[in-house]
Amino acid sequence: MILKINPEGAELLPAGGVAGKGGYETVTMLKKQYGENVGVIFIGPAGEMLMTGAGIGNNDPEGNAGRYAGRGGLGAVMGSKGLKAIVLDSPKTFDVPVKDKSRFQEAARKFAKILLDHPVTGQGLPAYGTNVLMNIINEAGTLPIRNFKYGRWDKAGEVGGEVAAELCNARGGKATHACHPGCVMRCSNIYILPDGRSMGSLEYETAWGFGPNLEVSDPDQVAEMNYICNDLGLDTIEAGVTLGVLAEAGVIPFGDGKAAIAALEEVGKGSPLGRVIGAGATTAGKVYGVTRVPAVKGQGIPAYDPRSCRGNGVTYATSPMGADHTAGYAVTANILKVGGYVDPTKDEGQLDLSRNLQIATAAVDSTGLCLFVAFAVLDNPEGLPTIVEMLNAMYGIELTINDVVALGQSILKVEREFNEKAGFTKEHDRLPEFFYNEELEPHKTKFTFKEELDEVFNF
Amino acid sequence: MQVEVRVFCGLECYIPGATFGQPIPVEITNGFTGRKLLETLNIPEEKAFSFLVNGRHKDLAVVLSDGDRVSIFPAVGGG
Repeated sequence: MILKINPEGAELLPAGGVAGKGGYETVTMLKKQYGENVGVIFIGPAGEMLMTGAGIGNNDPEGNAGRYAGRGGLGAVMGSKGLKAIVLDSPKTFDVPVKDKSRFQEAARKFAKILLDHPVTGQGLPAYGTNVLMNIINEAGTLPIRNFKYGRWDKAGEVGGEVAAELCNARGGKATHACHPGCVMRCSNIYILPDGRSMGSLEYETAWGFGPNLEVSDPDQVAEMNYICNDLGLDTIEAGVTLGVLAEAGVIPFGDGKAAIAALEEVGKGSPLGRVIGAGATTAGKVYGVTRVPAVKGQGIPAYDPRSCRGNGVTYATSPMGADHTAGYAVTANILKVGGYVDPTKDEGQLDLSRNLQIATAAVDSTGLCLFVAFAVLDNPEGLPTIVEMLNAMYGIELTINDVVALGQSILKVEREFNEKAGFTKEHDRLPEFFYNEELEPHKTKFTFKEELDEVFNF
Repeated sequence: MQVEVRVFCGLECYIPGATFGQPIPVEITNGFTGRKLLETLNIPEEKAFSFLVNGRHKDLAVVLSDGDRVSIFPAVGGG
């Protein structure tokens, strides 16, 4: 079905011709049918086949099917309801009710300036996008290489943000691009494949998952895998981690981009191998008898090795969502020197760092603001008060900063309660065994936290 | 004595002929600091937000040793 929403109301319509279609074609067909200015939220064949690695896609302003709510298998949930797409037709996009308009505008202007004044959100992200991280994470020795075997690779930069920005510009794409109208950070991009297809944005996590994680250094092969995932409606992080597990099993060779592309294409066919890939890393590990499976609570670990970026290791282990880098992005203080500095290879301070970030993130995520505002907010004492001011102006309330912390805590508590009822225990708040047993080069680190992790949710 | 320097994210513009990520060999002497290295390479101190020696953050007073891998970045972030 298609759910169409406009100012007159909502109606369910037959999916018709878009059933079974890939993401790019789905967006194109629905925009043609319902108007070029509609927004399309969709699933691809992976979601329709109820694969647990399926995400939910959104079109970007140019109509590329590349902006994903990728993680957690939400595409399969949408698929299970028989919902192929949601079409939003709103001629009054910006007419959101605001209680005190002038107070809100003043706070919003101040907040935009806070973002533009910070070097990360005002300069680094616009110029190179999220993939600006590839080289610094690699140099810091915590870029997962060859399914989390090593922490640094001499070819990582070949799929990094500097190279990708050059390719975007040279091929008529965009190195600086807003994923939605009005964003001042503009960290998105438009990557054009060699044959002229517009892929959409190549992001850091994806470039890592299909690049260094598989020892693939050709940016076009990486972007091709990204295109396939966008079209299938598959989480690129989970797909990259899963291909790493398959390479570990010997199903495809490391360093062979063509073999990885061919394996991903099986997903769309619904073949047995394709279904294993679509089911994610944990399932693939069980099917092929692999124990080096980088996943927590059934979700693949993203692009920072927890042994030399330990704050994020704490987040991977304890986040109610499973291995999620954004839930408490300790890379900030561990590697990027944003919001202070906590040595990434030592245990001191990591539990507090992850806890505080998880609480703040749960609250910021609830506002609808992009998480990347955190780079500026962590370094600017005016940041959080300005967010609170926007909320108060918008809803006519009088929240304080303490209320925001309490909000974040209460969200995490509800999530934990859900997990407990679903059968999760503290044994699930641990990293896979190999992170405790295998040393990571170049810093010769192992992950050590076990029982200490039970203290993260001590509030 | 020599160190191997890599610069990224636009810092290459301060070094004629340099490309981001390509190792640049720099001769050092006894007591050669990170600050001295930036001076030698004409990189303004305020642009060198992250200064890594062998993959670890150091402040600019760090004394460099033969064979060190030095990586210099402006302020970056993503996710």
